Amino acid sequence: MAEDLVLDTAIRDWVLIPLSVVMVLIGILRYFVSKLMRSSQVPDPKIVKEGQVIVRARNLRAGANFISPKSFRARRVYFCNEENGLLHVPKGQAQNAQAQMFSDPNMAMDMMKKNLSMIIPQTLTFAWVNFFFSGFVAAKIPFPLTQRFRSMLQNGIDLSTVDVSYVSSRSWYFLNLFGLRGLFSLILGEENATDDTQRMMQMSGFGFDPSKSLGAEKDSLDIIQHEWALPKFEQRAETVLKDLVG
Amino acid sequence: MVTKTEETQLNRLENQVDNGGGGAWEYLCLVKKLKVRRPDKVLRHGLSILNDPKKRSALGPDVWTLYEQVSIAAMDCQCLDVAKDCIKVLQKQFPESKRVGRLEGILLEAKGLWAEAEKAYSSLLEDNPLDPVLHKRRVAIAKAQGNFPTAIEWLNKYLETFMADHDAWRELAEIYVSLQMYKQAAFCYEELILSQPTVPLYHLAYADVSASSIGVITIARLMRNFHLYSGFCGRDTVLYTLGGVENTLLAKKYYASTIDLTGGKNTKALFGICLCSSAIAQLTKGRNKEDKESPELQSLAAAALEKDYKQRAPAKLPLLTSALKSLKTS
Repeated sequence: MAEDLVLDTAIRDWVLIPLSVVMVLIGILRYFVSKLMRSSQVPDPKIVKEGQVIVRARNLRAGANFISPKSFRARRVYFCNEENGLLHVPKGQAQNAQAQMFSDPNMAMDMMKKNLSMIIPQTLTFAWVNFFFSGFVAAKIPFPLTQRFRSMLQNGIDLSTVDVSYVSSRSWYFLNLFGLRGLFSLILGEENATDDTQRMMQMSGFGFDPSKSLGAEKDSLDIIQHEWALPKFEQRAETVLKDLVG
Repeated sequence: MVTKTEETQLNRLENQVDNGGGGAWEYLCLVKKLKVRRPDKVLRHGLSILNDPKKRSALGPDVWTLYEQVSIAAMDCQCLDVAKDCIKVLQKQFPESKRVGRLEGILLEAKGLWAEAEKAYSSLLEDNPLDPVLHKRRVAIAKAQGNFPTAIEWLNKYLETFMADHDAWRELAEIYVSLQMYKQAAFCYEELILSQPTVPLYHLAYADVSASSIGVITIARLMRNFHLYSGFCGRDTVLYTLGGVENTLLAKKYYASTIDLTGGKNTKALFGICLCSSAIAQLTKGRNKEDKESPELQSLAAAALEKDYKQRAPAKLPLLTSALKSLKTS
């Protein structure tokens, strides 16, 4: 092992600590900015209703055996008939989510706001870090690590001979970016933590299509076999009572 | 639904708080989380926090939800002045808030100013037509005025959109029952059974609604005579109903399922079985009946009833035996 690198205390005072402080402050600032920009969403009555229809149809499917055949058939017709059934989606009316997104400027606006509050500060801070602090070692962790951590801890330093336990300033930035969630949830309250990773997950899950699930629910309701469970209950009640009395 | 562990936790905390052991804030949070109705306790302990500046400032921003909770509890206890003060504080803090507007509407309701409350809700609904609470408040106003047809109308309108809300279905079912519209009530109870198939009370209520008139009148009489399980002698015992063999058979099945789900501990369901069986025997007298799936059910139910009475109310046992005998012979 090569002799230890001695890190200047000025690096600690002028890079390590300021970087962390700036990251925390930017996180808090971003939270308040996004709170300011958040518009209260007015849910679309149609979407609310569709969600409720699906829940009710699912209940019917799950509990079908608990109601009499007559009631079940009446409900199935109510949900599935081809004229005005609740689950019936007329052809052509099923617009896809993409089109819906473009037709609704509010939605696009919302997404843009979200993106703006996330991306702009990130690019700015990254540029700032890159410009002022690129290319030097900022800290040393007190335990040795394997080579695999090099890309994580020494981003921006292309020297393979430096011991892996040294952390480059750019890597320190990344560690702060992803590791400060616990601190934010402490400062801003539990749910308010600005969680980048979670937000990214949400983005990818975008594009849910309610009309498709309506159709799927209709199909599964159409093929369900109704088998009334109640006659069986009489026998079961009999055994229960036998146990109770006997 | 409150689970058993949550209930024990709640009771433990309640005990602790009542005996001055502290933890009032935790108790209030739990009450709010479980949505249980303990207005007197909430009012007392909530006010003790709100009147203590040190405790109040320790809560930080949570103090506003506490104000809301206490104001609703106060209205529940008819302490309208307290509620008014709480709402005033909230209004100062959140001048434009719809949530506070809702509270003001409820205060108007509590004072009995129905028309004003209605107006307040209508104007709030214009801004936010999908607020379920506001819709429900309107139903409550209609119901409080004894205006059941309007309440039904509002509820139906609400359920058109929020059709998975089983509490609303239950409310509607009870209103229909009170108006003796059993067919409609039966539909609502079917909906409730679908949404929660394992709740025996819905099976019981459904059976009641579809039981034959003869049978259930007798249940009501029996229950009144015995003054026994006061819990069952509520408004839903007196049901005149759809009648007919088919419905009686249906009712018997659902009484049976209630017995199965409660493990035979529901007295009313046991009575129901006895009465339905005898009613069926009467209605199908002379006809060759193929419906003999469970011939022993009636005698078993009677035996279970006798055993139960012997244990819990021996004095009333002769009454029971004579009633059961009259059922058998009739």
